Amino acid sequence: MGFASRSVSMMRYRVRGEIEGSFWEAVDAGIKRGAFTEIQTAGDEVGMGWASIDDFTDSQFTGASYLRGNYAALSLRIDTVRVPPRILEIQLKKESRKKLEESGQRRLSSAQRRELKEQLKESLKRQVFPSIQIYDLIWDTARAVVYFGSHAVKARELMEAHFKKCFGLTLVPLLPYIRGEEILEGKPEGRLLEELKPCLMAP
Amino acid sequence: MDFLDILREKAFLGREFLTWLWFKSDQTGGRIEIPGKKVVEVLFLDRMTLDLSDVETPQTVTLKGEHSELREGLAALKEGKKIEEARISIRAGDNDFKMMLKGTWFSFGSFRTPPILPAGEAEGEEDVEGSFLEKTYLIEEGMEIVDDLFEYFVKLRISDGWEAIELPALRRWVSTASE
Repeated sequence: MGFASRSVSMMRYRVRGEIEGSFWEAVDAGIKRGAFTEIQTAGDEVGMGWASIDDFTDSQFTGASYLRGNYAALSLRIDTVRVPPRILEIQLKKESRKKLEESGQRRLSSAQRRELKEQLKESLKRQVFPSIQIYDLIWDTARAVVYFGSHAVKARELMEAHFKKCFGLTLVPLLPYIRGEEILEGKPEGRLLEELKPCLMAP
Repeated sequence: MDFLDILREKAFLGREFLTWLWFKSDQTGGRIEIPGKKVVEVLFLDRMTLDLSDVETPQTVTLKGEHSELREGLAALKEGKKIEEARISIRAGDNDFKMMLKGTWFSFGSFRTPPILPAGEAEGEEDVEGSFLEKTYLIEEGMEIVDDLFEYFVKLRISDGWEAIELPALRRWVSTASE
């Protein structure tokens, strides 16, 4: 569900940290460095990175197409594959038999079995269509706020880590208490918030 | 205090905010005057989840339906539950926002802003950017009102007036409304 939709769901983050040197040059470099690309390593993710908010197949960002006023508007594209467990089981049994015949062993060690399973999973991954998830992200650079279009834990964790990797900045979810700290920053009442305990609202 | 400690120990603040907001809205027919800011109309709509926070085994209850069904939430408040999320509408001037506001994360579900010109009707890059900016401004306007309401709550919550006036009034509301 993107930001252009009538109805959007989103998390709010405060952007913490400083960019040294030219801000927009660093942002541009960070976006391009973290643009969507295929991932060859083990794991369910086979591709991840920034894509155009208008077209998830475009990760070139020609002419700084992410730039909208003071905002950087991006999508995070995450491609994942899940090899069906039964398919993996069939292949594992077949390949295990073959290996045993070749080697003359009676059974595979757990390490051999694990290694074979990983190899098969990696090769089967190439035969499965990925599931493509797109999450919009708007970075209000004037207010140091990021809006992210998902509450899903996995998507959030991947995005937070990717953002940090690309820009060297930390995203802190704007929880009520953190917002409260900001409201009272530098004021003596800040201590009162820190000491606050839940109250009984029932009569 | 690190982030996980805040998430664990201070989640009550968001729940108390939502519970107080319902009280405020119910007391005034929705009209809330934010000190030094503006008057907004806050209405609790058709969905609310209440949580018995601060206990080892969380107990939640979700209420769906119109205003009268939501009144059952008051019975849950009487048991010590607080609102974890609620679907609310906020009207400020001509602008009407609807959202599922979540207490613990202070995040927004199904956030609806007033309509803008649909992207399909916009032509050219400038119009696309214009639509984007209009939509983003509206999102931020809606969030700013929530922030203003939250600031109102936080300042009240840490003031002497909380224990002396606001909390007793809130408790009276919970007790009388569920009779």
